[in-house]
Amino acid sequence: MAVARIKKAELYVHKADLDNVLHALQKTGSYEVVPFGTESVSEGTAPVHSDLSRVEGLLSEARFLLRFLEPHFKDSVSSLARAMGERESISLHDGKTLEGKTDLMSLSVSVRSLERRLMEMRSELTQIASTETLLNALSDFPYPFELLTSGTERVRGMLGTMPVSKIPLWKEETEALLSSMGEVFTSPPGEKDQEGWIAVFFDESMTAQVAELLARNSFSRVDVPLSLKKTVEEERLSLAERKTALAAEEEGVLAEIVGAAEQWVPSVRILSDYWTILRDRYQALSSGASTEQVIMLRGWVPESAVPKLTKAITPFGSSLELFLFDPKPEDSPPSHIVNSTWCFPFENLTRLYGAPKYGEIDPTPLLAPFFFIFFGMCLGDAGYGAIMIGFFMWFLRKYKNMPEGFKGFFKLFVLSGVSTIVVGALTGSWFGDLVDAFSLLSFLRPVKNFMLVLNPMENPMIFLALSLALGVVQLFFGLFIAFYDALRKRNYIGAFADTGGWIVFLTGLLLWGGVASGFLSAHATFLAKALTFLGAAVLVATQGREKEGIVGKAISGLLSLYSVTSYLGDVLSYSRLLALGLATSAVGVIINMLAGLAGDVPYIGWIIALLLLIGGHVFSIAVNVLGAFVHSLRLQYVEFFSKFYTGGGTIFSPLTYKTAFVAIKNEPEE
Amino acid sequence: MDLLGIMLAILGAAMAAGWAGAGSAIGVGIAGESGAGVMTEDPGKFGLVLLLQALPGTQGIYGLLIAFFAILKVGLLGGGAEVTVSVWQGLGIFFACLPIAVGGFFSAIAQGKTSAACIQMIAKRPEETGKAVILPAMVETYAVLALLMSIILLNGITL
Repeated sequence: MAVARIKKAELYVHKADLDNVLHALQKTGSYEVVPFGTESVSEGTAPVHSDLSRVEGLLSEARFLLRFLEPHFKDSVSSLARAMGERESISLHDGKTLEGKTDLMSLSVSVRSLERRLMEMRSELTQIASTETLLNALSDFPYPFELLTSGTERVRGMLGTMPVSKIPLWKEETEALLSSMGEVFTSPPGEKDQEGWIAVFFDESMTAQVAELLARNSFSRVDVPLSLKKTVEEERLSLAERKTALAAEEEGVLAEIVGAAEQWVPSVRILSDYWTILRDRYQALSSGASTEQVIMLRGWVPESAVPKLTKAITPFGSSLELFLFDPKPEDSPPSHIVNSTWCFPFENLTRLYGAPKYGEIDPTPLLAPFFFIFFGMCLGDAGYGAIMIGFFMWFLRKYKNMPEGFKGFFKLFVLSGVSTIVVGALTGSWFGDLVDAFSLLSFLRPVKNFMLVLNPMENPMIFLALSLALGVVQLFFGLFIAFYDALRKRNYIGAFADTGGWIVFLTGLLLWGGVASGFLSAHATFLAKALTFLGAAVLVATQGREKEGIVGKAISGLLSLYSVTSYLGDVLSYSRLLALGLATSAVGVIINMLAGLAGDVPYIGWIIALLLLIGGHVFSIAVNVLGAFVHSLRLQYVEFFSKFYTGGGTIFSPLTYKTAFVAIKNEPEE
Repeated sequence: MDLLGIMLAILGAAMAAGWAGAGSAIGVGIAGESGAGVMTEDPGKFGLVLLLQALPGTQGIYGLLIAFFAILKVGLLGGGAEVTVSVWQGLGIFFACLPIAVGGFFSAIAQGKTSAACIQMIAKRPEETGKAVILPAMVETYAVLALLMSIILLNGITL
């Protein structure tokens, strides 16, 4: 069981060998560097690697390039496949060679200029679009725009909008004012328009009066782009020409970008990963402390990996010193979880809840059998189980190099599928009642009935009792783990008074219940009562031990017995195993029934029936797998873990190669 | 009088499917609004958001299930044999449908709110998806219990 022992490792490295040592550490992937404590101030300053800022700069350029170019890049490997581990393998040496060959900075400069050009063109296109809207509104404006934008020697012009209702009066007044000294233009407004376009041209000397009239009639001026000189038609034509030119240019730039993406994205991806590795390596250093000649690193190494680590640093001989200590109580080492193959897929479930603290029990092997059974009972349909296995096996076969976490989840679902098939076969559920619903499949009935042990649709109470019994088993198991854990930590009062008291008390109550309902013979009565009262006495005597005074102790001791309701609630919670199992088969039955009804439709009935069967069962699998997963998990987290497990640890995360695009293969660097 | 018995059973089935479905619709809607907000920032979270949005949808399925059970029982579906349902039996079936109708309606809304909050949670901490899925499932427990009770009650009524 399976939080591995870990050692505190202090490394003292001569500065001359630093790079090689760090590289060796990263290669082993079994050393987690942690920041020096506060005392490091007196021991020296945090060292900064001379190459760090260069690498960080390159990395941010690479990220820019990928962000900009990737949308234009047609990847031969889909992003799903990439996430599933379909990656090119390169060595660090390849990365270094590529770094030497690639002038990333000038590439970045040219890509940035492409980006800028593209943005300029797009903003010009937006501008043209808004000018075109203006021109469309003014389609019967008869004058050249020059009159508005620059005017002539004496004539000034203004363009804008005015509430439709005010236009006639204003026009009259302005025409009267200007007579031959100017001109008024009004565009006939559309039916629904609130505002109409107007323009007025006037002699410079009359500016004040015209403006006053306009202001009185709620005129709002619209500035015409200065580039407009000619008449509406002519301007429209030239805008259209410009647009075509821009579109052609944009196409050219986009083609250039696609070309750049095709040429550069693969190598920039490799470089980005390469630099990330270097950056991680250098950043590890900044957690250390340095003196004039020596760098000190402090970190964690799993005990099992110590030989590997020692071997990796042997070549550096006397320029390096490694000290190993056992973690002290005040340290908080990370948890390195190691599980054997059979329960490895379930490790993800533990991680979802939170890793165990160092030195605590790893619940993975403990929850694995229960989750396995519960999932099977919640889904409980052999046909669905078979489809699950097929689907996830296909993924596992297709992507052989998938990351461990994914692999664990996929294997978990394959295992869950196995348990689903077993439960489904025992309860006679194959895609609901498909075998019984269609006479076409009647030849399969003997096979189904041969394996059928109990049909929960007909005997739900037996299945319910089974579910609750499993709950009792798991809860007792949890209590026994807590008991063992307390003993292991030499917390005898916790073991015998808290956990032990409850175990005895609950066993007594269960026996008593068994006798009362006639399952057990009356001979057990004495034993049942004795255990119940012994357990209760222990609990009453000890559960108030932190209170002041004898009365306080007695009262809180007595009240603690009330927690028996929470155990009752926990057990009842397992009834979901029946409910979800029934729900799955019932949904299946309903789908089959609907398909059967549709089958009666003449001629095309069998097509509808087939579509209903396939669509319905696919939907049912999706919904019920989600439900089965979530609810089986909840029984572990809420009912089971609450007895003995708290989580709250941190996962051991060593300095290693963390990449997004490529896999790093080991190979002698020089 | 026979007809009244069947009508009561139908009323029960209608309430189970209708109310539980309405609750799920509201719940899924609440979660969806929250999910749309998260996806404006990061459309890549679609899968996770969809998963959480789907959680309050189960009550509708449970309601449908009980409705089917109820009308199957009174022989309205699948061309089963004619069954006579007395008023008392019909009333019994109606009552048996109530747990999932009421429990489904309210729990789906509550679960939708929890899902919405959990969607906000994974917007900030996508690595905590496991926990985000468990919290709405805590609410669903009571829908499952209601479903269980409806099944047991329906199963207990003999015609």
